[in-house]
Amino acid sequence: MDQRKYNIYFHTHTISGIIIAALLFVIFFAGSFSFFKDDLTAWQKGKSHSHVQSQADFNYVLDSMGTKHHLLGRNFDFYILRSGQETYVNMSVSQDTTISKPEVKSEKSKGRRGRGSKNEDSAYFLHSFADKSQSSYEEGYNIGEFLYRLHFLAQLNQIPIRLGTPFGYLIAGIVSFLFLFALITGVFLHWDKIKNNFFLFRPWSKWKTVWTDMHTVLGVIGFPFQLVFAITGIILIVNFALIGPFSKLLYNGDQEELYQDLQYNRKMEVTYSYQPLSKSFDVNAFVNNWMKEWPESDISRLYIRNYGDKSMQIALETKPKSNANFAGSGYVRMQVLDGKQLEVKSPKTDATYVDWVKSLVYHLHFGDYGGRTLRIVYFVLGLLGCVVIISGIMIWLVAREKPNIPTYKRKFNFWAANLFVSISLSMLPVTAFTLIMLKFSPTINQSLIYNLYFYSWLVMIIYLLILRDLTKVNKHTLVLSAILSLGVPIANGLTTNLWLWNTLQAKSYDIFFIDMLFMTISLLSVFAFFKVKKQGKTFKILK
Amino acid sequence: MPANKKYLTKSPWIRLCRILLGTIGGYTVMLSFHVLLTEFFPKENVIATAFFTGYLLWAFLLFWAFLEPKLLRLVLTYIGLTLLFSLPYLINH
Repeated sequence: MDQRKYNIYFHTHTISGIIIAALLFVIFFAGSFSFFKDDLTAWQKGKSHSHVQSQADFNYVLDSMGTKHHLLGRNFDFYILRSGQETYVNMSVSQDTTISKPEVKSEKSKGRRGRGSKNEDSAYFLHSFADKSQSSYEEGYNIGEFLYRLHFLAQLNQIPIRLGTPFGYLIAGIVSFLFLFALITGVFLHWDKIKNNFFLFRPWSKWKTVWTDMHTVLGVIGFPFQLVFAITGIILIVNFALIGPFSKLLYNGDQEELYQDLQYNRKMEVTYSYQPLSKSFDVNAFVNNWMKEWPESDISRLYIRNYGDKSMQIALETKPKSNANFAGSGYVRMQVLDGKQLEVKSPKTDATYVDWVKSLVYHLHFGDYGGRTLRIVYFVLGLLGCVVIISGIMIWLVAREKPNIPTYKRKFNFWAANLFVSISLSMLPVTAFTLIMLKFSPTINQSLIYNLYFYSWLVMIIYLLILRDLTKVNKHTLVLSAILSLGVPIANGLTTNLWLWNTLQAKSYDIFFIDMLFMTISLLSVFAFFKVKKQGKTFKILK
Repeated sequence: MPANKKYLTKSPWIRLCRILLGTIGGYTVMLSFHVLLTEFFPKENVIATAFFTGYLLWAFLLFWAFLEPKLLRLVLTYIGLTLLFSLPYLINH
């Protein structure tokens, strides 16, 4: 073994790892729960999606908007959620300048996850097909959305620093790139022992050995999974790092054209004719017709341009069901006036290479190709990642707890580790606490969830820091996790009468699942607490 | 125990140098390599592939910046490879 190289592997792995440890834990923890985003949403709202199959009624949305607005010449974008039960609707101002002042907003910012424009005559809202209710983004906000957005640090976007992308996304991107770097250095570091130590686990040894084994064994087992998430994570959050330069070099700076080549955006420029369309148009019939044509795919987007004008166009985007086709995308664009199809791409047969790569990124990251079973496996693997991070912090700390290291350095190390561990371990009780509190809150919106989660997190972190003892931090969070996680199904039953047996009977499997998940977590916390109490060896830092 | 300091770069300035070189040099080598590939394959396919290979290659090239003992060779390799890979592009444009 080359001593120089080994020590470089060691040092680069340690430094890149400890810098990102706390943030990466947040990303992994929130990300793991995001696999159950739809279930959490259903749980919070008390409305199951499992057994309701409501028809997507676009005509209803248009009609109801028509009672409040003059629809002529407007553009509509529908972004249908994965459950198929809800859709975001984006309605622009009219293209007809005799009706409206033209929008100041450039075409560029559209279509890429905009939060809707600020223009008063336009609208952006969430529509539920099931009960035909509409809510603004803030009202429709829920704990599933919160955890999902926390896992790419979207809440940090409030900090007004912009370096090409919102601040939170940038940090999340840098963390995932350093994570990739730490994974590579970690494999090099452990390479010589990878075979011999594959199953090496010595739980009765001293703590440092236990943590090292945990870190290396689980790290090796989880490596493929974590590598996939590091890379797909970078792609999903900071791909502008590649897109920007590529568009400059290969597309003469025209990013729109690149996005169209990669099929993120579709070109749909239609000049307004100022001649009203004489016939009415049935959007539902159009959608149903194509869904019959492509039965094994789900509708993902629907675009309408120049509503009610002679130039009106409609386009539909579909994604194949993952059990039918892993990759592909369907697209059809039609001129309404004469029913002429301007573009057709079948989701079954016309999959391109770009479709394959994009599907690979999405399916691998969202784990949506194998039902709930696969999502549970992903969830557990994600939590194993959390364990690897925590054990990494512990190794880092105890390796530096030597008499020959000056006290001020040891003090710093202890407080850093104490902070990181407190941030990490408090996430579970805080999540359970927020879920319980939401059940007792009459109205739920974005700011309430922010306040509940972030303030309780802050209080919890300060409390754990004051303990100044990592063993106590562990025990206290375990007790709190056990109690609060058990409180989740109880709070749900008390407030909505959706007790476990009722949801199971009603086939509301999504709500049932969340309750069961937290029951299981509670039981595991109790088990872990007694294990720690009985066998946990105390270790002293700075005493 | 922490890594043995004897084998690590001592000067913080040289260390910063290595990090910056690895980040920037690694990126330019990676980008020019993929631009080179667009000479042979459809560009949208190359860009899509680069989503995976690009970040991985970049991370490896950054890693190499810490391993290479001679700083000069590091600089020359990054510059040399970038120029070599971008030759067809520079000639064509």
